Amino acid sequence: MGKKLIELQHIQKSYNGTQILDDLNIYFNENKFLTLLGPSGCGKTTTLRLIGGFEKPDSGQILFDGKDITMLPPNERKVNTVFQKYALFTHMTIAENIAFGLKISKKSKAYINDKIKYALKLVNLDGYENRSVDSLSGGQQQRIAIARAIVNEPKVLLLDEPLGALDLKLRQDMQYELIRLKNELGITFIYVTHDQEEALTMSDTIAVMNQGYIQQIGSPEDIYNEPCNAFVADFIGDSNIIDGVMLADKLVSFLGIRHACEDTGFGQKQPVDVVIRPEDIELVAPDEGFLSGDITSVIFKGVHYEIEVLSNGFEWLVHTTRFFPVGAHVGLKVIPFNIQIMHKPESSDERAVGLDA
Amino acid sequence: MKRKILSAFAAAFLLGALTGCSGGSDNSLVVLNYGKYLDPEMLELFEEETGIHVEYEEYESPEEMYTKYKAGSIDYDLACTSDYMVQKLIGEGEVLEMNYDNIPGIKNLDQTYFEFSKAFDPENKYSMPYFFGTVGILYNTKMVDAFEVNTWDVLWDENYSGQIIMENSVRDSFMVPLKKLGYSLNTTDENELQKALDLLIDQKPLVYAYLVDESSDEMVAGNAAMALVYSGEAAAAKIYNKDLDYVVPMEGSNMWIDSWFLPKTCKHAQNAEKFLDFLCRKDVAMKNFEYVYYATPNLEVYKALDKEVQNDPTIFPPHEVLEDCEVLSSLDDDSTKLYNDLWKKLKSN
Amino acid sequence: MRKLKRQLCAGPYIVWIIGFTVLPILMILYYAFTTPEHRFTLENVLSIAEPIHLKALLLSVRLALECTVLCLLLSYPLAMILNGLKIKRQSFIVFIFVLPMWMNFMLRILAWQMLLSNNGIINSILQALGFSGVSILNTPAAVVFGMVYDFLPFMILPIYNSLVRIRSDVIEAAKDLGASNMIVFFRIIVPLTMSGVISGVIMVFVPALTSFVISDLLGGGKVLLIGNVIEQSFMQGMNWNLGSGLSIVLMVFVIASMAFMNSHTKETEGTAVW
Repeated sequence: MGKKLIELQHIQKSYNGTQILDDLNIYFNENKFLTLLGPSGCGKTTTLRLIGGFEKPDSGQILFDGKDITMLPPNERKVNTVFQKYALFTHMTIAENIAFGLKISKKSKAYINDKIKYALKLVNLDGYENRSVDSLSGGQQQRIAIARAIVNEPKVLLLDEPLGALDLKLRQDMQYELIRLKNELGITFIYVTHDQEEALTMSDTIAVMNQGYIQQIGSPEDIYNEPCNAFVADFIGDSNIIDGVMLADKLVSFLGIRHACEDTGFGQKQPVDVVIRPEDIELVAPDEGFLSGDITSVIFKGVHYEIEVLSNGFEWLVHTTRFFPVGAHVGLKVIPFNIQIMHKPESSDERAVGLDA
Repeated sequence: MKRKILSAFAAAFLLGALTGCSGGSDNSLVVLNYGKYLDPEMLELFEEETGIHVEYEEYESPEEMYTKYKAGSIDYDLACTSDYMVQKLIGEGEVLEMNYDNIPGIKNLDQTYFEFSKAFDPENKYSMPYFFGTVGILYNTKMVDAFEVNTWDVLWDENYSGQIIMENSVRDSFMVPLKKLGYSLNTTDENELQKALDLLIDQKPLVYAYLVDESSDEMVAGNAAMALVYSGEAAAAKIYNKDLDYVVPMEGSNMWIDSWFLPKTCKHAQNAEKFLDFLCRKDVAMKNFEYVYYATPNLEVYKALDKEVQNDPTIFPPHEVLEDCEVLSSLDDDSTKLYNDLWKKLKSN
Repeated sequence: MRKLKRQLCAGPYIVWIIGFTVLPILMILYYAFTTPEHRFTLENVLSIAEPIHLKALLLSVRLALECTVLCLLLSYPLAMILNGLKIKRQSFIVFIFVLPMWMNFMLRILAWQMLLSNNGIINSILQALGFSGVSILNTPAAVVFGMVYDFLPFMILPIYNSLVRIRSDVIEAAKDLGASNMIVFFRIIVPLTMSGVISGVIMVFVPALTSFVISDLLGGGKVLLIGNVIEQSFMQGMNWNLGSGLSIVLMVFVIASMAFMNSHTKETEGTAVW
């Protein structure tokens, strides 16, 4: 359910001799909040800029609603962008900033005035029409940048790490604002960030990227609970990743022990990565767990304790709300459902996967 | 705050003392002269022979000389300038009487030129002639025929539009139409001057440029057909470009005499007299003549020259020509203002 | 002791300012408002209204305006091209433009004399190509040439500096909102470079207005600018009072222009030329 609004096919892009994107294929459905997530240099911003028209691919096509827009300049594309550093026009008032796109579309004065009022109300900055750009705080400027973009009623809104320069509280507030906006306006949001928490909070779909390749596409729960490779597992949340061997379906061995798990189809005697989330490990009496070890560090994180346990040469990361002293000898326990099995990464995988809501 | 002002004044005094330093020791001489008007080797020779150190200053125009002198920051012992400027300074009481007895070498100079000097130094009390000459037309024989330049009218000939150079100096350029109209070049009559101005305004579209020192360079380079120049410049130009020749038109012209005098500020009169005597010496005067190439009043030098040079009318104007010439005399303030206003009218036209 | 040291360090500066700026201006003011007989008068300053002086002033204004407009028309595209080249070391660009100024100003103007004269290089090339020669030297056109040549760097540098300061994402934002290149230029780039343009205009117009050397050398004595009138008053007319009076009038002009500039440039965007 959902129409492919934007599609990138076989995109190649290199810059100064470095290959940024290599045969990238991805599509974005209508009316969804879609996030490109990855570390610096993974190609997510480049992908966004290709959609916006600020870069042209070396080869490949970009389709918008079925039409080829690869060669269209940015001013002819029905997308609008919210930039990382806001990029407001400092020589214009707030009202003039917001009205900029509308004036170019030759909308009537009355229409423009209405739209300005509407947009300012939408971002909770009523009455700011005649203020100057530098009289606004960072958060306010970001909201004006958003207002300026959405007032043109684009089908797609591109957001390039727009919350990066804000402090934590403000960022969190803005995240909720953005979700609210998306629901009110009913337009597609394509969001770029390196902050996985942000991505998990706001997105309908996340595409995790690394080194120019898409690692995994899925809903936040899928990505978090069932990472398909070590990179994703490591990037999203914390993980314990151990070398293991798949003995048979639903049976895996690692660190000298055998354990039941729920994954099948990995073959027999295949080397695999075993992923267990820290919050899925329970600390019990040494003989009640599948492994035992000594606690080497305890850090209070507010939400939980972050405890490191050294066992069989591997440092396990455990999140628990109970306190344990350093040096205590404990057992580790986990239910089979929470053990993730992943193929070992040979080279970078990528696939284009369409997702229904 | 007090300390600040004090230190500022102290520094200012120091600066003033340094710059005000002039004419230093006893064995020195401060001389003011036209640019390129004295062979520098002669200065060295004078120092060698007498041990007197010469501080030599130069200027471009008599008006600049007047400004420099009046500014008073340097006390000049000896100066050389043109006739009318000497007259003006004499009139203002700025000139000391010259003691000719202390300058024995003066006997080398042709007395005729002292006669001519009476035009600005009526009693021959104040000056000693240095170089003299005429103002005339330097022309390119390949572009202009000799008979054409016999009259000032040629400078209004439309065939030579854009090929005529005039002097960028008030008196010299006004002299031409005044002579053409038969008036005196020292006139202060407004009507006559207005008529002269009208002629100059008519001429302006034909003029290539109003230049001072660059006139002869331009003629040598072949950039113009004719130029109003001093006879000395013309003589030098002829050496560099064989196509050039010089003539003083029949309506008459200006004869100029540059003379030495002792300004009121003279502190080393004895050294000045020694210097003047030195200049009159045959070998020194000869060297200076070869350097400057203007007509020298020094008879000994004249006698020693080739017949060719002696008879060159460009360098040594024949007496008939000189008789038709007038010497410039200085004007009073009102007339100066009148001339300058008319000159401005011409330039802004 | 420290206080004294500090004051002594400021000493030379104070001497310089008093000796070479304050005192001369006071002297000029004195001459401007007195007659040669040391009586107070306004006639020197009011003489600017005399037809000749007015004519010279208007000619100066006209040539200065022509020079400024030409400089602007040449500099803006050049600055945009330079900016587009995205050369990493901007200090290098500044260096290239400042370099000719290290050579003697008179020599460069004299070089133009040679280039423009009837037998000069430009005419030789034109004639070799079969065109008739152009007689530019000793006309107001030659003077404007010389002025443009001399003052061009003062226009290019402030404009270039203000162009470089425009962030590329602002341009991208404008395009993103639907602006064509034309609109980007007129609605974004031009307004954001306006302070640089005004800076450049003042830095060209003021010296052009007061110049007299260029008109001397390239105008062949036929182009009488207000600067020439003042020079003449001092050097040939020996009327220091008139010259000072006219100088005061010019000074007022210059101060007015600079006040105008100050009111139009934003405090934060002080566009330094260097």
